[in-house]
Formats: sequence, C-alpha cells, structure tokens
Amino acid sequence: MKEDLYDDQYKAKLGRHNPFVDVAAYLFLEDIGDKQGAAGMNNYLMSLATSLAKSMPKEEYSSWDDFMESLLKGESIISSFEDVHCPTENCVVTETCPFTEGWQEYTKRIGEFADIHKEVAEYYNSTVKPGAVDSQCIIHQTFRKAAAERIKVAGKTVKYAQIEAVTPNADEKRAPDEWLPILLNKADITETELNMTMRNNDCVWILYTE
Amino acid sequence: MLDVALVSLIKNMSEKAGIEGAIQYWSRVGENLAKRIGEEAYMGWPSFNVALKEGRTAFSIEGDVTALTDLAITDVDGDVVGYIYALKECVFTPTIKRIRYSVGEIPDADRAVAEEYNNTVQNTATCNFCVIHQKFRSEVSKNITVENQPLECVQLANRGFRGDTKINRVSLERIGINPEYVRSLLRNYACVYGILMKGARLRGSEEDE
Repeated sequence: MKEDLYDDQYKAKLGRHNPFVDVAAYLFLEDIGDKQGAAGMNNYLMSLATSLAKSMPKEEYSSWDDFMESLLKGESIISSFEDVHCPTENCVVTETCPFTEGWQEYTKRIGEFADIHKEVAEYYNSTVKPGAVDSQCIIHQTFRKAAAERIKVAGKTVKYAQIEAVTPNADEKRAPDEWLPILLNKADITETELNMTMRNNDCVWILYTE
Repeated sequence: MLDVALVSLIKNMSEKAGIEGAIQYWSRVGENLAKRIGEEAYMGWPSFNVALKEGRTAFSIEGDVTALTDLAITDVDGDVVGYIYALKECVFTPTIKRIRYSVGEIPDADRAVAEEYNNTVQNTATCNFCVIHQKFRSEVSKNITVENQPLECVQLANRGFRGDTKINRVSLERIGINPEYVRSLLRNYACVYGILMKGARLRGSEEDE
C-alpha cells in the first residue's frame, strides 16, 4: 500500500500546483504588507512558517545515517516540500525551489513580482539573519529552522544554517563573507564547489548537531 | 508549500480575527486576485468559450474548466445570455492532499469558517476556501465583457473533499435549470457555476416578478 501511495505518479499528483491557491496566497501576503509594512509582513511570514512546522509531527532517529536516508527520500518533515541531495554528510542541496511554480504562475497571470516581497527580505536580512532574497526565502528558511528543531538524532536536536539561495527570477543571496568559511567548513565543501553546485541548483544549506 | 503553510494559519487567524474576520480576510483575497488579473473583452460567447478552453481567461486560473455548451442559459426571449461551466477538480484538492500527508489533518477552523459563511453570506461553501474561490469568480466576472455586456457569475453546486454537496436552488431556479440535473453533474465535476450577462431578463426572475 505504501509503495502504491509513494509511487512517482502519486507523488506527481500530490505535487501538482494549483495556481489559484498560490497566486491568492501571494496576494494575501501583499495585502498584509500594504497594511503592516515590511516589519509586520516579516512577522507574519515567520509566524506562518513556524506554525506550519509546529503542526507537523516530531521525529527521532538513532543515527545520522538514518536521518539522511529519511531526508533524501522526502520522508522527513524538513524535506517534505522539496527534493534534496546531499553532496556531503551535512551539506544539503535543494534542486528546485518549491516556490518556483507558484512564482511562475504569479508572473504569468499578474505580472512582475511586487516590490514588497524583496523589501521584506531586506528587513529580514538586517534584523533576523542575512540569507533571504525575497518573502519566499523567509518562509522557507524559517520553516527549515523550526522543522530542524523538531528533529532529534541520537538524542541531539538538529540545527540548520543557510549558505546560499537563488530565486526563480535569478536573484541570489549568499551568507556574509565573515560567516561563509565557517559554514563551508561545516558543509565540508569549498567555495569553488559551492559555486559549481549553484550553477544547477537553487539552494545550499547545512544540517548538523552539536 | 505556500498553500500548506497558509492552511496551517487558518486556526491562528480564526482565533485572532474571529470566524467572521477570517471570512472577511478570505473575501478580500478573492477580490484582490480578481482585481489584479485585469479586464477582458470578447466578441461573443463562442470566443469566450474558446478562450476558456485554451486557458486564456481569468477563470482559467482555477484549472480544468469545461464550458457545458449543451446547457445554455437563455433569457425570456430565448436568446443565449450565458452558459454553465464546470470545474473538474476543486482547486484546493492538491493542497488538501498535501496537508493530509505532510501535516496530517485539516484544522477544525476550516469547517467552522464554511459553516459561518453558509449561515451569514450564502449557503454554498463546503470548505473555508470556497469563500476565496466564490468571491473571486463573482468579482472577476465583473471585469469581463461579452458583446460589450459585463458578466455575472452565479454559484450553482459544489462537492467538498469530504463528499458533502451544496446545491444552490435559488440560483438554479433563476436560470431555469433542474437541481437534479446539476446534482448528476457533480458525479463528474467538483464545482458547477453559471456565467451570464449581468442584468439579463431570465425566465426564473420574470416568474418572481
């Protein structure tokens, strides 16, 4: 039964996007931005993502290998919305940003992505953590952080850090220069390898325990 | 991901803004979406129906919409003033499936919002998202003209993901369609609505007068 549920056809069906909901959701967020400004919108996005992660079940793994297996299969909450691969034990690569289709539907049906989506990211980068290109990254990165906190591997809570993201309209955001060597060291990749990875993928991040 | 995140907020939103507040929020979302999509003009019903089939109208954002051209809406003179349209799959079905597998359950607030909408606005919602959806259609039709006439959209029937159905007998009477016929359409479609010229003199309306 489980195999039936997770076969490619079924996954494709589950993963199919619904332009109506995606576009309406972006406009809903813009409405909040209009009323509450970048600061209010940022709070809303973070609350949205945290609330989503908290509504999902907690996870426990006995070893890092078990966790990696679940992560790569998309069975872990942290990879339930995106396809990932791991070039090293701690480095995670998102092949396609899960917001890509929604963004494409927006640009196709509404037009250029509203400025507030970038303005809110600037607010997030200066007040929370520098890693977001637009509102979508805020949701995604906040979700990953909150989801990681719900996962334990060998009794230790998983931690998340962002290295680089590129959005569907090709804007990118890399971790600040002073953080990058530390993050790359944890990811066990070089800056050249990061550049090479980003040619064909949308996001590079790390998961680790202390 | 964005759609699932939004659903996880329904509970939070209805607690903070109240069920009525959630309805107002969703209505505004539907209205904004319709406004931002812009205006359209068609020379006649055939060109509108072809545009719909090819996914070029604002209504196409909802997915696979079929113009039931055997079900024309006629006015008192027998002229065609609109048609009945049917959506194969509710636009929220993929979201609901994703919620089932990633989160586990739909928040109770979903049903509470739908019930409040049915009691206070119109008895046509099977889930809280019907509020956005129906408001969107009603607003977007005002931005579209056929033969220079602005349109009106009337919700006729829908089937929720739980299998519950809503049939809007008042609107069906107005356009002169048998409710049992529309019920049979729900076997193959999730949502049925009429698009007609605003202000058309319909047989049902004439009888009321």
